[in-house]
Order: sequence, then C-alpha cells, then structure tokens
Amino acid sequence: METTKAKLKEILVNDLKLQGITPEEIGDTEPLFGEGLGLDSLDAVELVVLIQKYFDVQISDMEEGKVAFVSIESLAQYILDHKD
Amino acid sequence: MTKEKQEDDHNKIVFVSGGSRGIGAGIALDLAAAGYDIWLNYRSSTEAAHGVQAKIEEMGRSCLLLPFDVSDGVAATKALEPLLARVVPYGMVHNAGVARDNIMPLMHRKEWDRVIDVNLNSFFILGRLFAKMMLTKRRGRIISIASISGQTGQAGQANYAAAKGGLIAASKSLARELGRRNVLVNVVSPGLIDTGMIEDLPLDKLLPLIPLGRVGTVEEISGVVRFLLSREANYITGQVIGVNGGMYM
Repeated sequence: METTKAKLKEILVNDLKLQGITPEEIGDTEPLFGEGLGLDSLDAVELVVLIQKYFDVQISDMEEGKVAFVSIESLAQYILDHKD
Repeated sequence: MTKEKQEDDHNKIVFVSGGSRGIGAGIALDLAAAGYDIWLNYRSSTEAAHGVQAKIEEMGRSCLLLPFDVSDGVAATKALEPLLARVVPYGMVHNAGVARDNIMPLMHRKEWDRVIDVNLNSFFILGRLFAKMMLTKRRGRIISIASISGQTGQAGQANYAAAKGGLIAASKSLARELGRRNVLVNVVSPGLIDTGMIEDLPLDKLLPLIPLGRVGTVEEISGVVRFLLSREANYITGQVIGVNGGMYM
C-alpha cells in the first residue's frame, strides 16, 4: 500500500507534471480534482493510461473509476484490489 | 537507453487511415518522402497497400500495414492498442471514407449508415485511441480529411455531406479539448480531386463552378497535410483548410 501510494505521487509529479509540488508534499487523502490538487478531466484520462502502464491495472469504466479518482488513498486501494 | 529516449530516436511516425488508394495513398507516399515512417491502414485493397508499402520502403522509410475496417471498433482497438502502448505516432491522418450517393428520398438506410460509419464513426473510434495516448506525450497532430460536400451540402450526398460535416465539427471539438496538451487537430477539406472518387461526375458541368477551372491533384492535398504536420503549423488548430480551387470560399 505504501509503495503504491508513493509511486502514484511520483507519477503525478513526474508524468502529469504537477507544478510547484513534490511527491512528499501530496497528502494521501487530498482531493485529486478541484480544490485539492486541481487535476482536470484530461489529467484523469492520462492517469488511466499511466496506471495501466505502471501497474497493469485497467480502468475502462469511468463510473467505476469515480470511486478510485478521489485521492491517492482511494487510487492505491483500487489498484491493489484490481491487481492480479 | 530509456524508453523515452528510444522513442525520440525513432523517425516520426504518422498513421494514415484508408491509405492504400487515392488521396490516402498519396498522403502516405508524400509523408514518407518527407522522412516520416508510416502506419498504413486499409480495409480490402491488399494488393494496392502492398504496392504503397514497397514504394515507401524503397525510400528507406518503414511502412507497417494495418488492415482493418475503421468502422469496426473492436478490430481497430485490437490492431492499435498493443502498438500504441509501445510507441505513439506523431500524427494521425484520418482519410478513410466511402460514398454511396443517392438522392435522399430514395436513399436506403444501409447507404446512410455505412457512410456515417466509415467516414464519421471511425473518427470517434480512431480519435479516441490516438488522442488518449497523444495527450500523455503532450504532442501530436490529428488531421481529418473531410470534403467540400461537408461544408456546402450536395444533392445526392446527404449521407456523405452529413458525415463529413460531422467530421469537421468533431475535429474542431477535439481541437478545443486537446489544445492544452499541445495536440493539434485540423481538417483538410478537398474539393474535386483527380481520383477514382470523381470518375463518374459530369466534369463539363462542374468545372465552370471552380474558379481555377480544373480539378485538383492528390499532391495538392498531401502537401497541405505535410504542412499541417510541420513545425511551421505549430500555432494552427481547429481549422478547416479548403483545397478546392476556390469552388467554395
């Protein structure tokens, strides 16, 4: 769980190129969208691609994905639940 | 060598749908001559596609043949997804199209559907696959080949005009969506071009409607596509470039 969360934070900063923040500064329960980290819908699409690339976990249904795309915590949980 | 680095070292790749004949083949050959490697999609003209491939390879470029029906989402995904996971082409030229002309009161539903499927629904299928991957790269060019019919409407072509008009609107929408990620989307809209598609048209009646007084050549389309892929076109997105000899302004 911890390594998954750390990897996700690294992806946000390195791949999604979040500005002005380091992986360590991202809170586990901080909202990913809106007022939290300020991700937008294109970031969400990118994140789906990146999660498939790094974790081999596919999020094909965005309805289902909604539960995952809340925070680092929920994303990590989703990834662990769906990894073979 | 990192994966990113390897990708940078690749020649720039452009995917061309409907690339075995006509304008599509012309675009593929022109781009190969300009130094691009080509992913060539076609549906049934296997022999013609192999011919294009041979010419491209003679130029020292690579040409990957991708036979599938662009209106078949499952087939397109199966062919493209594994490739896109490894390397994301710089450009995607959506050229595949068919016409089934008939005046609308006599048009069959299957003539309507087939044309919408191959010209327009295919853009949804291919555009989604490519756009998703291009935006992660923060670079890319998507070019739709529409038609003057899609801008003006055309008697006997309600299906084709609707599909091409839809393609223009969808391309503009995608341009708005992807602009922030440096993925540019434009439309090249040919008038009457010297290919098999205009063989049966009454040219004696049509030429007077064209200020330049002649039909266009495939090279006159592919040249604009090549320009839209170039650095010189870095600030152009969401545009419809008419290449029609002035037939529609």
